[in-house]
Amino acid sequence: MKCLVCGREAVKDLCRYHTEAKERIREAYPLWVKAYGNMDWKDFLDNVKRNPQTGQWTKEIAELLRG
Amino acid sequence: MNGGYTLVICEKPDAAERVSDALSGGRSRSEQVEGTTVFRFNRKGEEFVVCAAQGHLYGVSDPAGERTVYPVFDVEWYSSDLVDEDGADAARRTSAIRKLASGASKFVNACDFDVEGETIGYNLLRYACGGKEKSALRATFSTLTEEDLVKAFDDLKSQAGLGLARAGRARHAIDFVWGVNLSRALSQSALGSGHRYRTVSVGRVQGPTLGFLVEREREIRTFVPVPYWKASGTFEKDGEKLTAVYARDRIETRQSADKIREECMGREAVAAAVRRSTVQVGPPVAFNIGDLQKEAYRTFGYTPSRTLQIAEKLYLRALVSYPRTGSQRLPPSINYRSIIQGLSRIPGYSASATELLKGNLKPVQGAKFDAAHPAVHPTGERPKRPLEASESAVFDLVVRRFLAAFGPSARRELAEVTLAVGEHEFRLAGGRTVFPGWMRYYGRYAGYRDVEVSPVSEGDRFKVVSVTVEEKFEQKPPRYNQSSLLEKMEREGIGTKATRADIIATLVERRYVSGERMEVTDLGLSVVETMTEYVPSIISTELTREIEGKLESVEEGSGGEAELLRGTVRSVVRQLTALSANEETVGREIDSALTASVAKSFVLGKCPVCKTGNLRIIRSKATKKRFVGCSNYPGGCRASAPLPQKGTLRTASKPCECCSWPVVYVMGGRRPWRLCVNPNCPEKRKP
Repeated sequence: MKCLVCGREAVKDLCRYHTEAKERIREAYPLWVKAYGNMDWKDFLDNVKRNPQTGQWTKEIAELLRG
Repeated sequence: MNGGYTLVICEKPDAAERVSDALSGGRSRSEQVEGTTVFRFNRKGEEFVVCAAQGHLYGVSDPAGERTVYPVFDVEWYSSDLVDEDGADAARRTSAIRKLASGASKFVNACDFDVEGETIGYNLLRYACGGKEKSALRATFSTLTEEDLVKAFDDLKSQAGLGLARAGRARHAIDFVWGVNLSRALSQSALGSGHRYRTVSVGRVQGPTLGFLVEREREIRTFVPVPYWKASGTFEKDGEKLTAVYARDRIETRQSADKIREECMGREAVAAAVRRSTVQVGPPVAFNIGDLQKEAYRTFGYTPSRTLQIAEKLYLRALVSYPRTGSQRLPPSINYRSIIQGLSRIPGYSASATELLKGNLKPVQGAKFDAAHPAVHPTGERPKRPLEASESAVFDLVVRRFLAAFGPSARRELAEVTLAVGEHEFRLAGGRTVFPGWMRYYGRYAGYRDVEVSPVSEGDRFKVVSVTVEEKFEQKPPRYNQSSLLEKMEREGIGTKATRADIIATLVERRYVSGERMEVTDLGLSVVETMTEYVPSIISTELTREIEGKLESVEEGSGGEAELLRGTVRSVVRQLTALSANEETVGREIDSALTASVAKSFVLGKCPVCKTGNLRIIRSKATKKRFVGCSNYPGGCRASAPLPQKGTLRTASKPCECCSWPVVYVMGGRRPWRLCVNPNCPEKRKP
């Protein structure tokens, strides 16, 4: 199976890099919610995608999850 | 043979000339032997002939020498002309030394006194001179000044560096067995996937070093910044304003940040604490090669390998001591006074040197020690001809660092003021140099800035003018640069001071990392990930560090190199077995990364004409010449440009600022040159 994002070998639907990136995004969400007091999942993904500090693979995953 | 001359073997031609000049008082005669220059003279009634190697004239290889054959454990030392394609000069030099050896009755190894130099000399004495490696004498010196060379030849030693030579030979054999087998196995596995042969190399130190880069790359590419807030306030007293930052460096939530602002605005601040202190800042220790490489990168942006090359040139011109040293110490035997007196005669250093000469000369000593050579220091000799800009920069750095090591501690006055607004605290801090001490000698490299703090006394009251709250995001980890990677290798104890810079350069050359930013390519990621999955020991730091430790014991004369080599062979066999069991998968993964890497290397960047295609390097089927063309040619884009036909091309990270066309670096000559591929770039029309 190929990774939905980059076409590398995938375990399920993502390669090991994008799986790790997805994990990081899930870990970060509650921290953003706490920081801003309230944040919608989609707004969070948009913000992550736009942020220049976000890593390339996490940006790609944010894009994928945003749909 | 009785009545013959003394044959002196130096590591490089420049060193041979210096040795001859020093020992003959400038009266040596040069002559040609087998097309190489040698020097002949008499000294104290003895005839000397001085010849030179040019780096390693013998190298390790396997008898078969077929790049597709592995495993290879039967390694031998061969003359470099049989191992390297460009070995014609090596062949001439080896032949000259062999011829000269037949007329010599005494042999002196005068190569650089370290592992590599000892190995070069040992191999020549053993193979080209007919087994003279044990009877030859050793000249040991750390500078190529006349004084040091004369002293070294008046005090020739026997068997001085055999431990170094044994360790050096063991290192070459181990690295060959490791590198050649695993690289061939990887290259072959990729070949099995049906493409043409491409070298995929992985070395004993290269593997773990690439591992560090990949680990960091993954952290960067999977990074998600978390927001936080910082607050600062502007305060006023008697019309004078000052700015202080909120004492808690990081405010976790927006709500807390807003609350701080609300609770401080309109209130009064009190100077709750004013702390002033004076601290002593000791002088920096003299450079070992790693420190010099890091400092040259920090101050001039020179890569470690460039700094090493420059330092070696300065050494061969007798301006600085031997640079490949691990020592941070300056022993009194180098004669501090004489060096500083020499420096006092060089414009730019005379004031500092003269001042130091008035006092007691006692340099600060570092913790690291190298028995073979002292820390890198100037010889006190004045450049006889003008130095190139980069040489001049490194020379200046070495001289100033050396002078600074003799300077007194500097004194800095630090001040920290805490302003309290209710339960909230703001701080401002500053510092200034009140006594420069060594900083004066180190000059602009000292890098301390003065930040003045307005005079404030405890109990002073201020009006809160404003409180600013700023949203921040965590920063992703920085990429390694060549300097910080070198530091990491040192810290992890892998590689040697002589090899680390070359290993980093090899990673760039193999396209595992790209450019100055040391960004890992897909190929680099793939190699490490595949190894981590199937043969983790290839990128293991522990195994490499363990081998380095054992090699150091061999250097110190404890022996054990044969067992170390046997251990390496056993380890390589285990790794090859693991690779072989997964050959198909490994091959597929490496091959796909290789294919992507090659395809990517032909793409120069977005086409600025049609803005949809990519400009690529294309080779004409008719003329075989390369040129730039757009991938959108079928769609009608006719953007094209000629390219230089010689040299390797590397794409620059940014397009031309003038016309937005891609920029390439053309490598092949002494230095890469930058070229905007647009033949009509307005920049090119400028006079």
